[in-house]
Amino acid sequence: MGSDEAYNFVFKVVLIGESGVGKSNLLSRFTKNEFNHDSRTTIGVEFSTRTIQLKSLIIKAQIWDTAGLERYRAITSAYYRGAVGALLVYDITKHLTYESVERWLKELYDHADPHIVVMLVGNKTDLGSERSVPTEDAKDFAEKNGLLFLETSALESTNVETAFQNVLGEIHRKVSSKEVTRGSISAVSLSSPVPRAAGDPEEKKPCCRNL
Amino acid sequence: MATDNIIHFWRKNAKVPGSIQPVYGAQHPPLDPRIHRTFPKDTPKGNNLKSKKASSFHEFARSTNDAWDIDDENDEDFLAPIHPSSLPPTLHSTHQVPPLPLQQPSDTTREPDTGPADRVVVKSSSEALLNTNTVRSTLQKQQSLPVRPIIPLVARISDQNSSGAPIMTVRDKSRLDKFKYLLSCPNTDLEELRKHSWSGIPREVRPITWRLLSGYLPANMERRDLVLKRKRDEYFGFIEQYYHSRTDETYKDTYRQIHIDIPRTNPLTIPLFDILEKGFRILFIWAIRHPASGYVQGINDLVTPFFVVFLSEFVEEDVENFDVASLPLDTQRNIEADSFWCMTKLLDGIQDNYTFAQPGIQNNVKALEELVSRIDEDIHNYFKRYEVEYLQFAFRWMNNLLMRELPLRCTIRLWDTYQAEQEGFSHFHLYVCAAFLIEWRKEILSMVDFQGLLMLLQNLPTIHWGNEEVGLLLAEAYRLKYMFADAPNHYKR
Repeated sequence: MGSDEAYNFVFKVVLIGESGVGKSNLLSRFTKNEFNHDSRTTIGVEFSTRTIQLKSLIIKAQIWDTAGLERYRAITSAYYRGAVGALLVYDITKHLTYESVERWLKELYDHADPHIVVMLVGNKTDLGSERSVPTEDAKDFAEKNGLLFLETSALESTNVETAFQNVLGEIHRKVSSKEVTRGSISAVSLSSPVPRAAGDPEEKKPCCRNL
Repeated sequence: MATDNIIHFWRKNAKVPGSIQPVYGAQHPPLDPRIHRTFPKDTPKGNNLKSKKASSFHEFARSTNDAWDIDDENDEDFLAPIHPSSLPPTLHSTHQVPPLPLQQPSDTTREPDTGPADRVVVKSSSEALLNTNTVRSTLQKQQSLPVRPIIPLVARISDQNSSGAPIMTVRDKSRLDKFKYLLSCPNTDLEELRKHSWSGIPREVRPITWRLLSGYLPANMERRDLVLKRKRDEYFGFIEQYYHSRTDETYKDTYRQIHIDIPRTNPLTIPLFDILEKGFRILFIWAIRHPASGYVQGINDLVTPFFVVFLSEFVEEDVENFDVASLPLDTQRNIEADSFWCMTKLLDGIQDNYTFAQPGIQNNVKALEELVSRIDEDIHNYFKRYEVEYLQFAFRWMNNLLMRELPLRCTIRLWDTYQAEQEGFSHFHLYVCAAFLIEWRKEILSMVDFQGLLMLLQNLPTIHWGNEEVGLLLAEAYRLKYMFADAPNHYKR
């Protein structure tokens, strides 16, 4: 069970958004190609991982699925630290979940790396007849705020793969352009590398620091 | 028609064992990778499987499919379910109050010591109940259906089993008699009851014992009926008073969240909660009466064991597929009210788990870390080395009292002890968590990276667990508590 396959990067990605928008099912669709109708509420934070190939690179996506519930924020915000990507999910049939996107974004920028790659994800396109958030609105919002944008259906497996791939690809683009790669298995940070004290050897980290 | 469909579901599932892959991240009950043997599922009759919404039941069945792949060794749990829709009409009028069998103790209950003339073995729990509860035994005789060779998740809530199960041992029988004796005393000795409950409460007497241990039911026999009636009335008074306000602006967030969570409540009691609004009402009333915490995810899980145990008074074994709506209305209301009060008693003791920033949980996780650093340095250092934080896995252990990590039958057994312990839910749980972690020592130390560790810790394979495993876990927890609780520096480095 211990996964020690070789990879070039570990990217930490968080899934955030209101309760019940389908974060856990997006994750299970991406990591196991599964959808569960009776998915249980996520308690605190739950973890999953998948390794993908991006061009010639092996990238390990370490994905943290957070609970949408307000009460857990004190706990969950700690998990934003070290994240280099985020999927901010809303439900296209529940306008309220879209209205809170700005609040989530603020929370994310408060706790995460300011260079974090964020994708706004409108989930549940399979329920198109009940749509209450027009695609254009969300798209405009995403553009204004410099977010990637996609609409997905975890149920029908629409765009889920693309969404994660795009986020991971964008992270990789940022990382390579900034040339912050340090070794084959290394911590990835999107901000300027913090100058290390002399004599402090760069440790091999399994990932960006957890907590 | 619906039944046919459901039979078909089981068959369909049976043909493709393992087709439903485990979804990590607690979307599924804990999975035992060792168990992949196909169970003879072609025979299920599924007679009492009822579902008003076949499609939702189908989904439910699919999501719980892996739970049915259980070894033959669990044959003891075969059941003879009652067909709920055909309750005799007399029952509806006689079941105004759930039968608390021990309030009318029979000969057996008066004689705790089993003499040689007494039955050395009791064939089944239902038979044992013949003496004490004629309504139920009649019901059983008339409604017994062919044995269904499927192990439902909550089937092993019993120490003893119904028809088809192995015979009750002499020890079981005398244990049961001891309970019956204690419960039939004019003033139940709660200390003594706790002592006996610690190692597990026989299924037949669990509902009344839980009501007593939680402090909901008075020890004084004469007062019980009165108190039950008053508390039940009080609960429905709350509903009258508050429930209409659920759509008010003030409560709309609470309303919405509970509404979203009810169908996502662990574990697998969707039919129970789906059919009626019981779960919703219990949670809503609790939440608005406890504004300091309000509703927090996890609380929805905690109502389930009470609901299932109180329901088990009226259903033989296969509780999770039982159509609650087929019970008389008064019975349904009593189960709901009792669940509310017992859940309230439980939450009173752990409310700081659910107030702002959840200090109770944070403290417990810290305490767990501190404890593990003293009792198993290897594991502690291993976590450090791979940067695994205790909060990453133990938050859920504390928030949901291990309910996400264990099958429901184990939670119910665990709660026997928690209610028997002083501060079981708030304090002893910590030692259970430590024992639970150490239980997986070998697996933990075989992981080679952070990912592997987290995936393991969030999906510990306990699906095959039963009373025996929980008993061992509790014994170890007790040992840890004994050694460390009052010795903060013991083994401290």
